[in-house]
Amino acid sequence: MKNHVQTTLFCLLSLVSFGIYAQQSVSGVVTDVSGSPLPAVNVVVKGTTTGVSTDFDGNYTISATSGSVLVFSSIGFETQELTVSGAMLNATLTESASELDEVVVIGYGTTTVKDATGSVASITAEDFNQGAIVSSDQLLTGKVAGVVITNNGGAPDAAPNIRIRGGASLSAENSPLIVIDGIPLDVVNPAGVNNPLSLINPNDIASFSILKDASATAIYGSRASNGVILITTKKGTLGETKYNLSISSSMSEVSDKLELMDGPTFERFINEYHPTYANLLGVNGVMYNTDWQDAVFRTSYSSIVNFSIAGSAEEKTPYRFSLGHNNTQGLVKTNDYERLSTTFRINPSFLDDNLKVDFNAKAFYVDKNAIDEGAALGNIVSMDPTKPIYDENSPFGGYYQGTREDGGQTVLDGTWNPVAMLMQRKRPEKLLRILTNMELDYSLPFVDGLRAVVNVGLEKSDADIRETFSQNAIATYRVGGFNPGENYREDQSITNKTLEGYLAYGKDFDGLLQSIDAQVGYSYQNFQNEGTKKLFQYNETTGVREVLVNENNPTNRYYSDLNLQSFFGRTNLNFAGKYLVTLSIRTDASSLFAEENRWGVFPAAAVAWRLSDEPFIESLNVFDNLKLRAGWGETGQSNISEAVGYYPSYPFFQIGSATSKYLPGENLYNARMFNPNLTWEKTTTLNAGIDFGIFNGILSGSVDVFKRDTNDLLANAPVPPGQAPASSFVDNIGSTESEGFEVSIDVQAIDTQNSSLNVFANGAYAKTTITDLNGIQQVGAGGTLPIGTGTFLLRHAINQQAGAAWVFRQMYNEAGEPVYNAFADLNQDGKITNDDRYLRAMRPNYTFGFGFNFNYKQLSLSSSFRGQYGGQIYNARRLTSGFTQRPVPINTQALSNVLNFYNGAANPIIYDQIGNVAFSDYFLEDASFIRCENITLGYAFEPLNNGTKIQASFTVNNAFLITKYNGQDPENFGGVDNEFYPRPRVFTLGLNFDF
Amino acid sequence: MKKILLIFFVATVAVSCVDDLNTKPEIDLTLEELLKQDPNAANGILSRLYGSFALSGADGPGSSDIDDDAGESPFLRGIVNLQDFTADGLKNRWGDDGLDQLTTTSNWDENNKFFRYMYNRIYYTIPQANNLINVLGGVDVANKSQIEGEVRFLRALAYYYLIDCFGKGVLATEENFGQSAPLPEVSRAELYNYVENELLAVEGLLPDSNSYGRADKASAQFLLARLYLNAEVYTGTAQYANALSYAEKVITGSGHSLAPEFLQNFSADNHTSPEIIFPLIADADVSQSYGNTTYIVNGSLSGETMTLSDYGATDGWGGHRASKGWYGLFAADAAGLAASSDKRAHLFWTGGHAYEMESYKKWSDGFPSIKFRNSAFNNPTGTNTSFSSTDFPLFRLADAYLMYAEAHVNGGVGTAATALQYVNDVRSRAGATAITASELTADFILDERARELNFEGVRRSDLIRNGKFTGASYTWPWKGNTLNGSTIPEHYKLFPIPQRSLEANPNLTQNTGY
Repeated sequence: MKNHVQTTLFCLLSLVSFGIYAQQSVSGVVTDVSGSPLPAVNVVVKGTTTGVSTDFDGNYTISATSGSVLVFSSIGFETQELTVSGAMLNATLTESASELDEVVVIGYGTTTVKDATGSVASITAEDFNQGAIVSSDQLLTGKVAGVVITNNGGAPDAAPNIRIRGGASLSAENSPLIVIDGIPLDVVNPAGVNNPLSLINPNDIASFSILKDASATAIYGSRASNGVILITTKKGTLGETKYNLSISSSMSEVSDKLELMDGPTFERFINEYHPTYANLLGVNGVMYNTDWQDAVFRTSYSSIVNFSIAGSAEEKTPYRFSLGHNNTQGLVKTNDYERLSTTFRINPSFLDDNLKVDFNAKAFYVDKNAIDEGAALGNIVSMDPTKPIYDENSPFGGYYQGTREDGGQTVLDGTWNPVAMLMQRKRPEKLLRILTNMELDYSLPFVDGLRAVVNVGLEKSDADIRETFSQNAIATYRVGGFNPGENYREDQSITNKTLEGYLAYGKDFDGLLQSIDAQVGYSYQNFQNEGTKKLFQYNETTGVREVLVNENNPTNRYYSDLNLQSFFGRTNLNFAGKYLVTLSIRTDASSLFAEENRWGVFPAAAVAWRLSDEPFIESLNVFDNLKLRAGWGETGQSNISEAVGYYPSYPFFQIGSATSKYLPGENLYNARMFNPNLTWEKTTTLNAGIDFGIFNGILSGSVDVFKRDTNDLLANAPVPPGQAPASSFVDNIGSTESEGFEVSIDVQAIDTQNSSLNVFANGAYAKTTITDLNGIQQVGAGGTLPIGTGTFLLRHAINQQAGAAWVFRQMYNEAGEPVYNAFADLNQDGKITNDDRYLRAMRPNYTFGFGFNFNYKQLSLSSSFRGQYGGQIYNARRLTSGFTQRPVPINTQALSNVLNFYNGAANPIIYDQIGNVAFSDYFLEDASFIRCENITLGYAFEPLNNGTKIQASFTVNNAFLITKYNGQDPENFGGVDNEFYPRPRVFTLGLNFDF
Repeated sequence: MKKILLIFFVATVAVSCVDDLNTKPEIDLTLEELLKQDPNAANGILSRLYGSFALSGADGPGSSDIDDDAGESPFLRGIVNLQDFTADGLKNRWGDDGLDQLTTTSNWDENNKFFRYMYNRIYYTIPQANNLINVLGGVDVANKSQIEGEVRFLRALAYYYLIDCFGKGVLATEENFGQSAPLPEVSRAELYNYVENELLAVEGLLPDSNSYGRADKASAQFLLARLYLNAEVYTGTAQYANALSYAEKVITGSGHSLAPEFLQNFSADNHTSPEIIFPLIADADVSQSYGNTTYIVNGSLSGETMTLSDYGATDGWGGHRASKGWYGLFAADAAGLAASSDKRAHLFWTGGHAYEMESYKKWSDGFPSIKFRNSAFNNPTGTNTSFSSTDFPLFRLADAYLMYAEAHVNGGVGTAATALQYVNDVRSRAGATAITASELTADFILDERARELNFEGVRRSDLIRNGKFTGASYTWPWKGNTLNGSTIPEHYKLFPIPQRSLEANPNLTQNTGY
């Protein structure tokens, strides 16, 4: 691959140099209005591809004929055109009016920052997080008020768990809708993919638009309750062809290990606490000292190479082509991730520019080795540290493994060697995904300002998962021998089709109504997901692993088909240049619901008042921008497939699996539960906001407050006993209420010729309370505790935050030490029952991010931080490995390691886990934290003679973490810290070439 | 170019067919499709209903029909948990958020998930049966009235556990199936009458004998005998004559006989035992569940002190042990058990274990029961499997013998000689000495039932019926959460109605005392 890139580069470089041929040399200096030289200004001979950039002192030299026009352009400045009349031509560029004219993508169209009426955040490339970015969500983390991204840990494609203003739903989806170049994505990931945003190369993204309030999102109707993230990829540019090559190389390490006992400490512990089991230490009396965490984790290396060409064909058809290669090693051995991506985008125009075409194709190939996280991350904790990793006499491929004799047969005993678990299994999860769309935008000749837009999209992905074991793999050992070879196979194919068409009308007027911008259209999306699985089972008689055959479905085929159709309309009105009104409506239908309940209507309205354009504000000479916004809207939610499948509204029979038969010789057919009354969940949001900018852009920001009510909640709720063949099912019951605010502030603290300092900060408060569950006081909300079975921490309860912990209040002695298995009798009935449990909110209400960008001459330094205030985390490691009885063998003849009782990692007062101990609030800890997301030091070298610009950077991601939490990492989406894949600390060296 | 545009708009209209909103699953089937594809589909639907007492779900042992844990919540597992661990003979050491409360008969409350599991399974099976009655009503299947009889028997069986465990509930039938307004609560006596009438009706619909695993006349008669035997507890009015007459019908009319060896009923090949009237089927390969006998067999084994392969198992979960409340009925120490002529006394693993259960949490305190095992009786050195292939003898003939004797002793019905004969038949089959007529007392029968039937899901009902469950007149290790046993309140004769169910149907009320 690398060779390919190099060859291409070489060819391209040659082309560039041949393209420059002399006619007349024109040179000059480009400065801003204050006279400071402007580096990196593009200078192009109009109508040609000839172009150069200014050097660090603002100088340029270009070949041009006398009388030709030079175009000077630079981000943040108004483009200027000057005619060549001699050998010298200086230019003075004025700054663009402001960022207020920046285009903001809002779905089925665009607006400007100035004219936006809803709560919309726009994040462009210059704001992105830096460093080792594997998936696109990492670009955004901590950057937008009210947008919280909590990945599932440090695996290369860990699920991102994006929440905008917290989640409002209980059993339906809480993730925002993601729209890439106008195509709304499926919420279902292809097999093997945990992070949908890992399927777009971060380097191809031009901007994110985040629609937060209903007046902005309602145009996406039924899928918009959780907000919308619009991703726009980069386009080609007119003028000089630009080449970009970026290369980065990273090294990662575990930032924080668990405090487990090492060999000698464990020996001491066993001899002190469990001397009768001391004979189980070591191997035949030989004591080893293995750090199982070190044995499984590694210092990992990653590389990212991106190359792109942006230019235009025949000077009028912009195109962009990119190639990317990402090779990321996870911190856990064998957890390798590789992605190849390529994109091509071209924007030709026809019919005198009346027909604009935007063709966009993206292809990805991902090859990941999925690890058995439970085996790797769980077994490193319990594995006895006095045992070795390797044992040359071991029948298990040279890995040590505990065994015992059972009736003359050797059976596996104790924890399975985690290193062997990784090394002896391969599970490549391969995916090829192609996303294409073509948008035709035709200005209709017969009505001025009327356009017809059609966007056709096709997404196709093919996933292939194959799990195999090597020879002598521990996991395949059965009495009778080993079972190397295939253990699982899945082939999946996803076809998603989109067709959207709308008419857009935009026209400026004189008079009170200054402009109108309206769209009316139709949208069709179909998501089809099908695949087959090859399942295996160990033959109970012979111990040989065999294909598990289900005669009724020999290939274990699965299939789902989801269809969504909508009509929508929106109008933006501008009165007197100061009063802005947006009205929108969308009606949606989903195949999930029965015909009678299928269609939902989602209206929204918003107004904005541009105060800064009122004379009485203008005369203050303080505000560059001051705008008040208010919006109201209804949005919907229907995504319940995860809870109840794709056909929840009609009766169907399920064919039982090959292992779930009952009467001998008979098939088994199960009548599935269904609910013909299911319909949309509806969310009403009220939002008010203010955008401001003062003192020529020195201070700018926005504040939003919102109130959100969700009704007809799609919640999995108990059915009246006996009245449906299920104990619970999703129904439209109950309500939640949310409220919150967001503040974003941006300060341009220094802005001089040589240096600039920009400081940003954002904070958000969001609180969602369950107000009604149809008479039910509380329902289970998961939160599996890793002890016994069916032990769940969380509840959805009335007047509580969703997913609150239902716990006992721990009793403490005078010394502040917990009293074992003693809890407060809250209802004072003299006994400890579930009635003494109380609910404690787990999720943080306050989240924030802040950072700075500092430039001094060619040097730049930037950093960003994020965190949360409040919230709780359940330290499940203390539960599973923090009691002194833990090492005692149960069902085995092997010991289990524990947290270190001698250095405070665990408290020896907790000696066992009986009865209610797991539900003690002792295990809940404050999850507040501040994380340094990245620190980047950059240096821009003097441009080379041929105009090549080189930038070098050094970034540390996850540089440090400030928290009171005693466990590994308080940032945990599920709230239960157990078998956590540590987030790596990453050091990245990057080089960027523009030529 | 305009043409191209036109084509796109035409395409828009063409694919944007509103009919596409009517998506169809390609794997699941409608009833019509199912019957077309498999003419025996009715048996497959029926199989599912039978399976609801042993399986957790239709998609393997990890799937669950109800929104509770697939492993923990199956019906049979609930029967063992609620009937045996709450009683004198068996204790479990895991805890598992509520299991300690069962095992120590203390701190019961309406949020204990183990009560909910049972309640949810009962009220999963009943509407499945109601649905099936309605579904079958509309299609043509062979043997319709017999199948209807079987469905109604299974529904009555589920109701029986509602009566016994919770004492009240709603009466959901095929007639009110699908009604969304919450049903009214009905009393224990009303449920009793309903079940009695249903069983009397289906006795006529069921065949004299049926294929293995399916209900026949004797199944309905056995359940009637059990219902009548407990009638005084359920309704306040004893029905010993009816209990005796239905036990006798089973004994004399069903063609079943005591298996020559006690263990034949609890081994992997127990489907060949002539004694089992109604089994709950398990199969290591095709009928896997963590809540069928796998729970009993694996739960009673641990590689720490035992050899799993001796019992045909590969997995030991190290959970259940008997207490002296059970093995104390045979002997006062391990040596005494070994020396007993009663073969049932040998079915405890004593090596490495203490007779006394100082701590119910400690595996080696108390003797694990090895009554149920996954090895075949006729070929005990066969294969070892992780799931059990041993069927659970939900109804077996020896129980009918003892029911006859109890009905006689308590109700003065039947003949003394027959009652004594039946008890001695059960004892002598096990190698125990015969008793005399004067020894045949209610207390003796209760003890004999423990020796014979513990771990078979009847012990709690037996103790309640004999006035020995609540109060302090009879104690056992860890009763009332004390080592030597202490009093437990009267209202523990019924379990609390799960909080969630009370909330889902506001017509339901909590049992007194909770």
